[in-house]
Amino acid sequence: MRTLDRKLFRDLWRMRVNAIAVAMVLGCGLSIFVMAVGMRDSLERTRRDYYATQRMADLAVSLVRAPERVEADLAAAPGISAIEVRIAGYALLDLPGIVEPASARIVSLPARRRPMVNDLVLARGRWPDVTVADEVLVNEAFAKALDLGMGSTLEATLRGKRQTLRIVGIANSPEFVFVSAPGELFPQPDRFAVIWMARETLARAYDLEGAFNEAVFRLAPGANPGQVKLSIDRIIEQYGSMGSYGRDRMPSDRFLVEELRQLATMAAFLPTFFLVIATFLVNVALARIIATERSNIGLLKAFGYSNAAVAWHYAKSALLLGAIGAILGSIAGVWLGSLMAGVYRDYYHFPRLDFQAPLWVFLAAWAAAFAAASAGALAAVLNAARIAPASALAPPRPVAYSQSGGVTGALGRHLDAKSRIILRRIVRFPRRSATTVIGVALAIGLLVVARTFPAVMERLLDVHFSQTNRQDVTLSFVDAREAGVLHTIEHMPGVIYAEPARVDSVFLINGNRRVEEVLIGTQPGARLNRLVGAGGDIVTPPAAGVALARALATKLGVAAGDAIEIEQTRGNRLRTTVRVAAIVDPMVGSSAYMDMDAQARLMRQPGQVTGANVRLDPAAYGEFNRELKRTPALVGASFLTLAEKSMRRSYAEGVGYMNLVYLSFAAVMAGGVAFSAARVTLAEQERDLATLRVLGFTRFEVSYVLVGELAALALLAIPAGCLAGTLMANWLMQLFRTDMYSFPYVFNPQGYAFAIVFTLACVAAASLVVRNSIDRLDMVGVLKGRD
Amino acid sequence: MTAISVSLSSDWGQTRMPPTFSLSKVGRRYGEGPAAVHALRDVDLDVAEGELLILLGPSGSGKSTLLNILGGLDRATSGNITFRNSSLSAMPDDELTRYRRKQVGFIFQFYNLIPSLTARENVELVNEIAENPMAAAEALDLVGLGDRLDHFPAQLSGGEQQRVAVARAIAKRPAVLLCDEPTGALDVRTGIRVLEALVEVSTRFRSTTLLVTHNADVARLGDRVVRFLDGGIRQIETNTGRAAPAELIW
Repeated sequence: MRTLDRKLFRDLWRMRVNAIAVAMVLGCGLSIFVMAVGMRDSLERTRRDYYATQRMADLAVSLVRAPERVEADLAAAPGISAIEVRIAGYALLDLPGIVEPASARIVSLPARRRPMVNDLVLARGRWPDVTVADEVLVNEAFAKALDLGMGSTLEATLRGKRQTLRIVGIANSPEFVFVSAPGELFPQPDRFAVIWMARETLARAYDLEGAFNEAVFRLAPGANPGQVKLSIDRIIEQYGSMGSYGRDRMPSDRFLVEELRQLATMAAFLPTFFLVIATFLVNVALARIIATERSNIGLLKAFGYSNAAVAWHYAKSALLLGAIGAILGSIAGVWLGSLMAGVYRDYYHFPRLDFQAPLWVFLAAWAAAFAAASAGALAAVLNAARIAPASALAPPRPVAYSQSGGVTGALGRHLDAKSRIILRRIVRFPRRSATTVIGVALAIGLLVVARTFPAVMERLLDVHFSQTNRQDVTLSFVDAREAGVLHTIEHMPGVIYAEPARVDSVFLINGNRRVEEVLIGTQPGARLNRLVGAGGDIVTPPAAGVALARALATKLGVAAGDAIEIEQTRGNRLRTTVRVAAIVDPMVGSSAYMDMDAQARLMRQPGQVTGANVRLDPAAYGEFNRELKRTPALVGASFLTLAEKSMRRSYAEGVGYMNLVYLSFAAVMAGGVAFSAARVTLAEQERDLATLRVLGFTRFEVSYVLVGELAALALLAIPAGCLAGTLMANWLMQLFRTDMYSFPYVFNPQGYAFAIVFTLACVAAASLVVRNSIDRLDMVGVLKGRD
Repeated sequence: MTAISVSLSSDWGQTRMPPTFSLSKVGRRYGEGPAAVHALRDVDLDVAEGELLILLGPSGSGKSTLLNILGGLDRATSGNITFRNSSLSAMPDDELTRYRRKQVGFIFQFYNLIPSLTARENVELVNEIAENPMAAAEALDLVGLGDRLDHFPAQLSGGEQQRVAVARAIAKRPAVLLCDEPTGALDVRTGIRVLEALVEVSTRFRSTTLLVTHNADVARLGDRVVRFLDGGIRQIETNTGRAAPAELIW
């Protein structure tokens, strides 16, 4: 090793606290990058491979009933490479030992062959024997959640007929990577199953013998999906089709795509943030090394080293820090990614999901580390190259201060000499003071952001479960029923109060924009299900016309006052023109809202409802559920308490866990900035502080000068940090907005208090550690030497 | 090599008043075992109230070490030192800080002014923690800087900075003035100007003054000259009459 390189390592060792801070902050940012981009890549790759091997459907269509012969017409349509027609529906499940009824999506399997589209992967057991009516496959998540094995039985109500089903195998399907019951926000694997069974059995149950009600398609390479959809729709128009659709409306894929988008957002935002801080820290660390190295720089140049050689010597320190950060980031990123993959395995049911970041992710991380380190070092390195040898070798003159008037002057007169030292240093070195303030402010900001997420989530849960849906159970009927059914429900055991509910799947059309969404019926004065805006305000739905969620209105390109068309997805596909009466901001979903009676008329089902919201007496909970399991006309029962519990658990395991990681990283950053600033302040002031000690100032008094400067800068950083945090949180909430959720920024005073207290504690801890150096100040040594 | 003991036979040594400092067998060792370095060994010395004592010797002879010990910046590893009948060796750190604060004025080779404070404020800095100090302007006036009160160190020449340091040291009317190579970084003319200020104030306030130098001519300023070699006192001379700074040549 060259002597100069040995010097480099020793310089870094001398600055190890700063070096560690830089490397750790850099490592945090890069680990999130490696984790997020790697995870995105792993998910994308796994999804692509899974879809390819299992022939995931490109298009799908639901209809009321089509005879089997239509299959040949569909298969012959141009652009289709494979087709599978099937029978699908929903069933209510009665599980032994579980009080509430669960529900299931039931999908038929072709006889004596594997599905041509949406093929399954058998995890355990065997394929059902078509000659045995009760044999079924269930999805792996459901089997795991309820500990079901081969031979376990399920009591299912299929279209009002109760049937016992026997599990012979456990499977996964590309169609159900993400499984959640219709209308539920989060997966509840123990409450919702996917069941595959022989088509014959299902046809009998659904009265669809010799017919089908769903078809899924694979496109031929190069086929135009729009054209193919048109051909499909033409063929099946007369069979009660709801129109063919692509993957963008298949719930599982839609969730996956959203997840991938969010991972991309995260990969872009957080690492950038950390890289900026690391750049700042490299700058501080290197500027400090170079300040203490003035005479050595002069010496090297006097020996004949070129400017470039001197600059390169110091640039190497920055690159070394970059490399350490990149190593830390790569290792931590892979580790976090593996943990993340574990979380995803609970959400997304691939046969196998491993974290595997491709090489380019690491290369990009290393490049980013070097770029950040170089950018941070640039000013300091140029400065090293610029110092003239003679002036570098000459003893430095005292730092020039001049009488500054204004606030400092006026303020200075009222301060004691020690406080004046603090004030003048802050004002004399505005750039350095600003960098410390910015660093601490960014740390506060990041903590504010990290603490805003749980508050937003809490608000979302509160609005959804305590304000919007105040019922205990939502019942969905197989078919629309006369409103009088409410009386029957009110007479069920344990029912305290019941309200009608109406939800229809519709197409909303504006010109050539066409969106499938649910139209939710509202009732003036409803006590259970209400429309609540993002601000927590109860929105009274308009008596006439339709109210649209903002995201939906944006998709359709309409504003309040415009007219849109609403088309039924079933039956006669009637179209009606309706005026957009209002734009609303619900936190969950992007639905359309309408007065329930008007909606029933629009659907040509006047006076009919599609479900009921029920408030229960907890004492009669068991009895209510026993009765419910015997009610054949239901398709589903959603239990709000269970849904909330499951949502909270999912949050704690997934988002909450990641939030903890961000919180720790924000803490590392706050600590890094604080320690770095404290060390630099001490190094710069060591001589003055030692002088004060010699002059008879106590350790406490001397500490005041050191800690006071940091404290003053930290205090200045508080308002800046809170503002930065608020802006970033608002911006992030916009970025994370999806069709499903709109996240409003929620002011969380505890979050701000935490961010401030935590960061100040870091600054205090850093000051205390550095303050200890005052006890070890070499009064004699410092006074003897010039620097 | 052992230090040469010299009997203290001067008028100053035989103390008409109790001595400010009394040193007996004072040693300072750095490190342990065979690697130990004896910066100071077996120093016996009395310094009288108001005396101007010059500590002379080559680099590493122990004179600065002794000054630092007397100033409470360092501790002797052997022997005993009393300051006005209290033992410096036995003082805990807090008391040493109080001792520096109340009794000692320091002047260093490199001035050690606080760059962010003006000349006046550098003096006031010490006045804030002193009992009954003189006004900063008065102290600066004494060293001839009455017209440079509001200048920052960077706006002053080396000699001026050192005179601010002198003013800072004497403003609290210290019992002891300790000067470590105060003219070491200055040219002759400026050095003489600083020494004049120093001699004038030490005489006026009858501060016991110890001045470390390796400049033999400066020795003529003192009442006595203590010559150091290899950590010990080689010789103590008493000057028959103190020279004025303006008479010095170096």
